[in-house]
Amino acid sequence: MENRKIQSGRRYFWSFVIATVLFVLVIYSSYFFSYVELKRVSNLQEDVAYEIFEDKLDYTLFEKNVCGGEVFEEVSKDLNFQGRIIDDLEKKFGKNNEDVLFQKKFYTLVELEHLEFINILNDQCDLGMATILFFYSNEEKGIEQSEEVGRLLNTVYARNSDSLLIYSFDVNLDSNLISKLKLKYDISESPVIVVNEKIKIFNPQNLEEIEQTLEKSEDESDGSSIIYLN
Amino acid sequence: MEFISVVIYLSIYLGLFATTFYIWSFVVDTKKKREFLTDAELPKVSVIIPCYNEGDAVTKTLESITASNYPKGKLEIIFVDDGSTDDSLKFARGFKSKIVRVFAKKVNGGSKAAAFNYGFTKATGEIILSMDADTMVDPESIQRMVRYFKNKKVMAVTPSMIMSKVKGILERIQHVEYLMGLFLRKAFASLNAIYITPGAFTAYRKSFMDKYGVYEEGNITEDLEMALRIQSKGYIIENCPEAPVYTIPMNTFKTLLIQRRRWYFGLIQNLLKYKFMISKKYGDLGMFVIPIAVISVFFSLVVTGYLFIKTAFDVRGELLFLRNVNFDLPSIYRFNSYIFERFLHRVLSNPVLIFLVIFMGVLFAYLYYAQKKVGRRWDLLINVPLFFIFFATLFAIWWMVSIFYAVFFKSIKWR
Repeated sequence: MENRKIQSGRRYFWSFVIATVLFVLVIYSSYFFSYVELKRVSNLQEDVAYEIFEDKLDYTLFEKNVCGGEVFEEVSKDLNFQGRIIDDLEKKFGKNNEDVLFQKKFYTLVELEHLEFINILNDQCDLGMATILFFYSNEEKGIEQSEEVGRLLNTVYARNSDSLLIYSFDVNLDSNLISKLKLKYDISESPVIVVNEKIKIFNPQNLEEIEQTLEKSEDESDGSSIIYLN
Repeated sequence: MEFISVVIYLSIYLGLFATTFYIWSFVVDTKKKREFLTDAELPKVSVIIPCYNEGDAVTKTLESITASNYPKGKLEIIFVDDGSTDDSLKFARGFKSKIVRVFAKKVNGGSKAAAFNYGFTKATGEIILSMDADTMVDPESIQRMVRYFKNKKVMAVTPSMIMSKVKGILERIQHVEYLMGLFLRKAFASLNAIYITPGAFTAYRKSFMDKYGVYEEGNITEDLEMALRIQSKGYIIENCPEAPVYTIPMNTFKTLLIQRRRWYFGLIQNLLKYKFMISKKYGDLGMFVIPIAVISVFFSLVVTGYLFIKTAFDVRGELLFLRNVNFDLPSIYRFNSYIFERFLHRVLSNPVLIFLVIFMGVLFAYLYYAQKKVGRRWDLLINVPLFFIFFATLFAIWWMVSIFYAVFFKSIKWR
């Protein structure tokens, strides 16, 4: 039998080039979409921060009555959504991406501003809004547990969205604010939730555990001490 | 980067490269000028139909083949009943046609190769058509296929194998698989790299079988072995996409698994037998088509195996989670205005999903071509998604079972 030759080396070469270009283009596009999303989240965050700061200043500087407005509801939903998108972006760009890190730090700041504002509303307007501070880790060691608790909290939030707000904080984030928060609530491990800034639970496992704690915390007298449930 | 991510991206890259190359080869082939036999040059054709327990399907098969638009006196049909225990022989004998000769000979208790070879000894045509007893052909198919034998180096011509009727999920998946095969077979033909001749209906030049032997008895995929034998001798296998041939799909998981186990086991056996062909001496077939097919199977097994295990763990995790939230489904899966937005972001920022959309687009193009060639329309909007959801898993299961049998059992029976 006479040896056969490949029909066209040129065809292989150009197929290789086309496949490579297409491959790179798609990978690049996916990063491009994520980058656009990052920018969008950044703009959204600025809007949310502006609204919170404005409302707070209305109250603190101009002594305006803030009890009538329900701005916080929309702002809370926006915050929740932004938190999830930042999670996605972190997975996409990596934990050390500077843009994502900045967004996370800024997000933390906005969350705390929001928390403070809600506390004011609770005090001044008898809003009765419960809060959960969720300290999670995205380090390889604790990420799975943290994600489980995160999902659990989403369900708790869905069931109590009229009277509950959840704030998430990455304990590994290199931020002074986080360090101070950890110190304030004595956070040394994760995942941990702090219910109404009073009761701390490490790695909650189910719905009842959290909802019962929510009820219990409402009965607790105000005080600076934090009860630790394990 | 995790090992599995490397495998997934490598398989995507390879898929893009191979797809681009095959589409290009296909386009080049459409411009290729071929010589065809004229009406006067059409040779005598012997259709050999080995049969074992095909029941009343035999009548439909004989009706369709005798209705072929092929010159009178140049077509003979040799029906070989290989000891059927049902009414197959009765149906064949009851079929009234001057061109059909029926032989009842238990040659190997159900092996198709032996029955075919017996029929071959009775054949007088220059072209031998191997046909399954549960297959139907378009009236023009034989004539269109045989015209390709103008080129003296062409030793076999394959048709467009499609499903006769499609109902359940499994049948729809097979249907898309077969349609996809139409395009690929044409692309392979352009590279002279067809390495499978469907046993259900393929035309062979008799002189090749006279010189190099008939079907290898005992070979579980004798048609595949014949294709590799033709390629190994340096001849050509052509494809005639305008020749529709209808076969009955396997309608249960078990029968489909048995069929695929035989095919893939046979492929392993025959590729080992002809492994010397994976060489630059065999051009595109040896350098690209066969190696890519082998690598694709490997990638498919790794990726599907990983996804299977991951899905099992995810389902377990999901069930535990559901238990922890007292199965409060409305709260877990509630709709909100961000769901669509987040979904879109997840799709667009995930390259694997974008590639999936691209491959789906390519598949639609393949199927459009197939529909055009065989002149029929199907419910592609249902069939293609079904194919995408289930085929990879089924493919991996068939291969795992086949490899298991190849390693531990060494041989399997035809039926």
